[in-house]
Amino acid sequence: MARYRPEKGPKQYWQEYKVPYRRDTVVLDALNQVKAEQDGTLAYRWSCRMGVCGSCGANINGVPRLTCETFLHDFKGQELVIEPLANFPVVKDLVVNFEDFMEKLVRVKPWIIRERESPVEEGEYKQSAAELERYSQYSSCINCMLCYAACPVYGLNEEWLGPAATALAYRYIEDSRDQGKKVRFPIVHDMKGIWECTLVGECSVVCPKGVDPMLAIQKTKILGAMEAPKSILNPQTLKAILPRGGQ
Amino acid sequence: MSQKKEYPELPRKKLGPGWWLGNRHYTVYMVRELTSFFVAVFCILYIYQVVVLASAPGSYSQYLDLLRNPVMIGFSVVALGFTLFHAFTWFFLIGKVQPLKFWGWTSTPVQSLIINTVLLVAISLVIIDLFFMGR
Repeated sequence: MARYRPEKGPKQYWQEYKVPYRRDTVVLDALNQVKAEQDGTLAYRWSCRMGVCGSCGANINGVPRLTCETFLHDFKGQELVIEPLANFPVVKDLVVNFEDFMEKLVRVKPWIIRERESPVEEGEYKQSAAELERYSQYSSCINCMLCYAACPVYGLNEEWLGPAATALAYRYIEDSRDQGKKVRFPIVHDMKGIWECTLVGECSVVCPKGVDPMLAIQKTKILGAMEAPKSILNPQTLKAILPRGGQ
Repeated sequence: MSQKKEYPELPRKKLGPGWWLGNRHYTVYMVRELTSFFVAVFCILYIYQVVVLASAPGSYSQYLDLLRNPVMIGFSVVALGFTLFHAFTWFFLIGKVQPLKFWGWTSTPVQSLIINTVLLVAISLVIIDLFFMGR
């Protein structure tokens, strides 16, 4: 296991642990066993133990996974190499700093934007099953950050908006109740936005909730490409770019 | 937003030049990207061929002699292989990103790959028939 204890020294180091396991033992159980029985200094995040909270991610044998969903039995006869999620600064041991993502998450405005809020008396904003289907899978994101740890584009360029934030932006762009496309498009189509994605696709492979951020990013690219001609033909744009004010 | 930290964090690790060798998916992605180099070189050679064809007749026969060179034949075979790999991997990705939808049926990536390949062969045959079989 990769250890980093800043109070003890500035470098990461390796420490080996042996844990007993049964068929239903997951990596999180092993971490808890180490913490309780062998080494109380070990630091890691966890909460729900059932793949819902998204807080227990770690790189296991080089692949980002939720420790609560990774069975030791699947690695029978092998050594497990457990490291903090890649592409993030490490606070301590397996605890990483997500501040960068939290800032990006807020930037895409992950809430329903209305041009005019309807009074409660007018009732709810109705939506058909087909309309729900358009964005439903992207609502399942648990912000576990496995997709960021798996994305080499994010690894190479920290400025990149990244898979989960873009998938969430797309979730609201596709929501029939939302009217914030004009607000979100400049954010996701920014130079640090979706066009940075080069279609590696590993974000979708590692997602524990079956969300497909790669698909969301490519669909956002398509939407942007469809919108571009409209914005060029917009009278205000024509007025700005044509000689004699578009006359 | 950031608060002063009592202990320093370990900065995020930078990816080294060999980052794409540690994971099979990364390697396939990188090979797909690298094959575009051969696609580009083949396109440049093809455009040059058209330019030579439009110039004096003697220069075109010289160019054909160059293409008969074993090195050029070898390059063409390699470029063809890489171009097909590039095309097929993209057809598969297109199937993921923009599946075909007809009357409630949605294509899988493999079905898109097959449909696109059939279309590629059909269009190629039409072009061959139009330009070469009519002579």
